[in-house]
Amino acid sequence: MPEGRRSIIISIFSTSSGNGKTITAINLAASLANEGYAVCLVDLDLQFGDVTNYLKLEPIHTIIDAQLAMERGDEDYDVMDYLTEFSHTDENGKRTEFFVMARPPMIFDAYGIAVPVVERIINSLQWFNFVIVDLNAAFSALNLAVLDTSTIINYLGVVDFLPSVKNFKLGYDTLLRFEYEESKIRLVENRADSQKLINGHDVERLVGEKFFHRLPNDFKAVTKSIHDGMPLMFSSPDSALSKSFLDLAAEYTNKPKAEPAVVSQTKGFISKIWNKFFG
Amino acid sequence: MNYRTIIVDSNRRQSEALALALRNSKDFEVLSSYASPDSALGQSTVYNPNLFLVDADHPEFMEMIPAFVDLFPNAEVLAMTTLWNPDIAYEVQKTGAVGTILKTYRTEEIDGTIKLAKKRGKPDPARTICFFSPKGRAGRTTLAALLALNIVEKTQETVALIDADLQFGDLPIFFDIEPQHTIVDAVHDIKLLTPVTFFGYFHEIKKNLYILSSPDRPEYAELIDAETLIEIIRMAGHCFRYLLIDLPTGFNPISLAVSNFCETNFVVSMINTGMETEHMRRSLDMFRERSNAGKANYPIFTRVNPCTIEERFKLEMQIGYPLTDIFPNEYNLISMANSGRIMKDLPKDSTFMKKIDELSNKIISGEL
Repeated sequence: MPEGRRSIIISIFSTSSGNGKTITAINLAASLANEGYAVCLVDLDLQFGDVTNYLKLEPIHTIIDAQLAMERGDEDYDVMDYLTEFSHTDENGKRTEFFVMARPPMIFDAYGIAVPVVERIINSLQWFNFVIVDLNAAFSALNLAVLDTSTIINYLGVVDFLPSVKNFKLGYDTLLRFEYEESKIRLVENRADSQKLINGHDVERLVGEKFFHRLPNDFKAVTKSIHDGMPLMFSSPDSALSKSFLDLAAEYTNKPKAEPAVVSQTKGFISKIWNKFFG
Repeated sequence: MNYRTIIVDSNRRQSEALALALRNSKDFEVLSSYASPDSALGQSTVYNPNLFLVDADHPEFMEMIPAFVDLFPNAEVLAMTTLWNPDIAYEVQKTGAVGTILKTYRTEEIDGTIKLAKKRGKPDPARTICFFSPKGRAGRTTLAALLALNIVEKTQETVALIDADLQFGDLPIFFDIEPQHTIVDAVHDIKLLTPVTFFGYFHEIKKNLYILSSPDRPEYAELIDAETLIEIIRMAGHCFRYLLIDLPTGFNPISLAVSNFCETNFVVSMINTGMETEHMRRSLDMFRERSNAGKANYPIFTRVNPCTIEERFKLEMQIGYPLTDIFPNEYNLISMANSGRIMKDLPKDSTFMKKIDELSNKIISGEL
């Protein structure tokens, strides 16, 4: 349970990949870091995580080295030695920095990362105000251990495709069955305003819970951000998506928001057919 | 059907009990029982039998099964074992015998096994084809479903889709079905099953196309270990000629064991952010170095735009492996999976469907 430590742990979870988990994790980390908080981003999509790819980081040490050091029982083991720094200085000289615990370069190593090691690493990141954890899309022993220890579960969904909607509801119902408190699970809809056949409000009715936050679609800005190797707030500061990430970060810092970003909804057709699958 | 039956079993008591059960059924006539395969082979011609029930628990009986198949071309040979053993069942299948059943006194099971074998056709071992993807939303399930439909249409053979994406399997939604049984039930019951009883766990989608569904709750995936899943697949091989298996995303005990078992492993990734080439390369390295013992893996990229030969070369240069194929984007397919219409309104003349057609030809011919 999330007791006995100061850091806020926010896990980014979904039940389907390609939902924008990594983009959300990076931009939430950057937004919080930009506010002056000490932030560490942990890439626990151990096999195919893209955090270092999207930020163009070339880590010297990764989580596998941390595990090996712990297994060796290195006396001078310090979790900070296994983190990679991301920093950006804007034209006004304002510097934003946060740290990344990178995934192993080899899939075989990723396969061998042990759950207790990850728990120990996360617990040792006490120095940070926020620990953002990018998970992969499965109910695994590792992910459940991280969800257990998380302050907040950012449960992300892109609900543009019927199997995705099914898996979004299935995942949420499973989280509730596993007795995660509803207040801890924050439903975040990604690409909420894109042209699609399924309406987010219908999904809310289906799932039985409102979206905590809606992220608009900005494919161009995301592509540019990946291309530039920078969080959206630096690569496309004027994008509605960049602002929406700042708003999401503000939800977790108790700071007053600027003007709220309005996300429009397109009309969907799912209400007609969902009973067939979910009734 | 009137089965003119000869029982070949070393255990006199068992063979008498079986004869009694068969005599009580109007479909069976017991012509004779033998305690040794030699005597049965030598003497049975006088009875003109059309069914041999042979005890396959004994290696020396097992060895004689091909002789029964050769000498009595008009008779079915059915092996009987105390426990279902996939290795024995596989050996029996290769001899041309009709199948293997558990030692039973249930005549329906004997009759059912013969009918299932007739439906399945040639006793060749099943083709096993699995679909792996590093990350989700790669087009993996779409590819498996469309290839299965295409193979059924072309070959008229029996084809099964097995949804081994145990937490988030999407096959039922693709086909708009609500299966009565899932793979969890099959795993639970596996020790008691034989192909004919196992067959009932599959949902018929259309003639000759069946699906074994994933569980309806992600946590039930915990009930299925890799070893039992392989047993399931091996038994399914006695029910169907083609098995297409949709794997969970990424490397885990299930995807590793199944891809290692299957003769054909497609590795599917969808072009999106551009990082997919790296994921593909690392996946293929992992397969080459750590599992699949020297087997070929077949990489496929979906949503390649433009879907040209130049683009394909470019992707091949990036991953350092030859690609099996590239597929273009096909918006119509998404709306079809949305509404469970995947069987009805396929865009037949599209490049996408032409490529499915070519790929299934290669599977059928054995090129892949």
